[in-house]
Amino acid sequence: MGFAVEAENLVKQFGEIRALDHLSFQVREREIYGLIGPNGAGKTTTIRIAATLISPTSGRMKVFGQDVVKEGAEVRKLITYLPEEAGAYKNLSGFEYLQFMGRFKAEDRSKVQTMVQDAAEISGLGDRLKDKAKTYSKGMKRRLLVARALMTKPRLAILDEPTSGLDVIHSFHVRGVIRKFVEQHGVTVLLSSHNMLEVEYLCNRVALINNGKIVAEGSPEELKKRLDVTNLEEGFAKVVGFA
Amino acid sequence: MLKGIRNIVSKELKELLRDPRILVGMIIVPLVMFPLLGLVIQTSMESAERRLQTITVGVADFDKGEWSRNLTRYLSSSPNIILVEITATNLNEAVAHLQANPDATDLIVIPEGFSANISAHKQATVEIYSVFSGKGLTEGATSSIISQLLTRYNRYLAPDVFKAEANSIVKGQPIEIDPRALFQVMSSQVFVFPVTISILLVFAMQIAATSVASEKEEKTLETLLSLPIDRFTILLGKMTGSIVVATVGAVAYMVGFNYYMTSITSGLGSQVSVDLESLGLAPSLSSYLLLGGSLFVAILSALSLAVILSAFTEDVRSAQSYISYLYIIIMFPMFLVMFSDINTLPLALRIVAYAIPYTYPMLAAKAALTGEYLLASFGIVYVSVFTIILLYIAAKLFATEKILTAKLRIRGFRARILRIS
Repeated sequence: MGFAVEAENLVKQFGEIRALDHLSFQVREREIYGLIGPNGAGKTTTIRIAATLISPTSGRMKVFGQDVVKEGAEVRKLITYLPEEAGAYKNLSGFEYLQFMGRFKAEDRSKVQTMVQDAAEISGLGDRLKDKAKTYSKGMKRRLLVARALMTKPRLAILDEPTSGLDVIHSFHVRGVIRKFVEQHGVTVLLSSHNMLEVEYLCNRVALINNGKIVAEGSPEELKKRLDVTNLEEGFAKVVGFA
Repeated sequence: MLKGIRNIVSKELKELLRDPRILVGMIIVPLVMFPLLGLVIQTSMESAERRLQTITVGVADFDKGEWSRNLTRYLSSSPNIILVEITATNLNEAVAHLQANPDATDLIVIPEGFSANISAHKQATVEIYSVFSGKGLTEGATSSIISQLLTRYNRYLAPDVFKAEANSIVKGQPIEIDPRALFQVMSSQVFVFPVTISILLVFAMQIAATSVASEKEEKTLETLLSLPIDRFTILLGKMTGSIVVATVGAVAYMVGFNYYMTSITSGLGSQVSVDLESLGLAPSLSSYLLLGGSLFVAILSALSLAVILSAFTEDVRSAQSYISYLYIIIMFPMFLVMFSDINTLPLALRIVAYAIPYTYPMLAAKAALTGEYLLASFGIVYVSVFTIILLYIAAKLFATEKILTAKLRIRGFRARILRIS
């Protein structure tokens, strides 16, 4: 099995700030790979590079063998991206928003309709999808956006804090959907999260990032064993030296 | 390359036309406000006109001579005047008598010596006093009516030695039309076109800036840029949506404004009948094409400018505020074209006017009158080059991470671009 994502010596400099410092990792196909780290560790920068939104200062990243800088347009055909603070078009209804997004992935009207039906099921928003997005709560908006990211069954779903803003019940629902999608549709997921419970539940492998560098990598079980801790939070604290 | 543009344009139109700020502020308000304003003015003008159909005027004849009686007879025979003859010994007494009649609006005082002066071929005087009570439009108008009547009586007594006829020279041909009448008719090209073009450009800029800035404010831009669609298509889709909405807004504005102007002018009544086509002053097909071409490239450049500027902002409010700084390059040529001939301006001002791309569509609107087709055609080329440069910059911004990371801060007179993570 090949790699869905290959990051090699990624460096990203914002003025005097070095957000990524020779970061390298690989995501296998059909796995859920999590990036964990404190604020400013470089998770979102890594994810934005994978989503072709920003370019690395040096180093390179490939998605299914395509270079995210040189072949950005090809990469965008393979991915969907859910930003951490994403919004929906407030004057469009949930249905209209999903249709708008679906049309970029499928020209066939019936395929778009199927996507929208899938999204309706994933989001669990029911009839509220007929309402304008500006009437949605933060949680409802997030469910709509997660549904949008998964409905096209992309080869790689890039999810930045997928359960951000969701309550316990809806977070549980979304995690279940992500897992189900990976199993049923062979979707690869690259996600970032602050929530260690979420990462342990969802991810096949995780990378602990601090100051733009990967400080530990492996499956949650491996990491716990290797670091001799009971959970990832404890492990992370131990690795970055504040425990 | 433009695959998906229909989807983007359709989304833009839905988003923009459902935005209350645009729907109400740019479309509904002008459509309702101007006709309402026009209706109010028309109603009050009609009411004033009705009042002016018959006015009550007092006349105090302190002369009691042949010519004062002749004048009084002349005034009382006027069809729209109810003349009240006041017997008094002095002005104050006459005013007191006049005020006893609530309908009386003016007092004509014929002083002693009036007839003697006329008989001796000396200049005689008549005094008109208008009652001022702050009740509206008719107060000044009544004294004008009386002045006109008195002028007519004056001409009757001593006709003018000669009469001056005002005519015009249009495109080198002498034409028997009063230049004031011609100007009144031509005012649509001289005033309405520059104003309409300015409104259209301002609307287009505002809408394009709102469109880009709201993507940033609502945090939808990152998602949009990660979609499998060419970035230039996104840019063009946004600009097309903005052009459509700006045109709808400008049409709504002009429909409302036209109704307002019609309401006022119909209240005033028009005595002018000028066939512009026979004078060669009606816009021809080629002048319309010239105006259309000039306007199209000017709108595109305005949109590109707005997109570039709004790319450096974080929200709609700051985008609107930055865009307002650009209004000067629209308003400046508008006033110049409306109130002056650019070629007669000092050299420095002329250079500035011709350097501003938005001068040219206004000149193109004037081209039917001035015949400066060459300048208007040059303007299309000039603005096209300017637009291509701006589009290139806008496309570059959209194609790189700068659209997400660039930020403009204006503090005092200093502007600088900061890059943030």
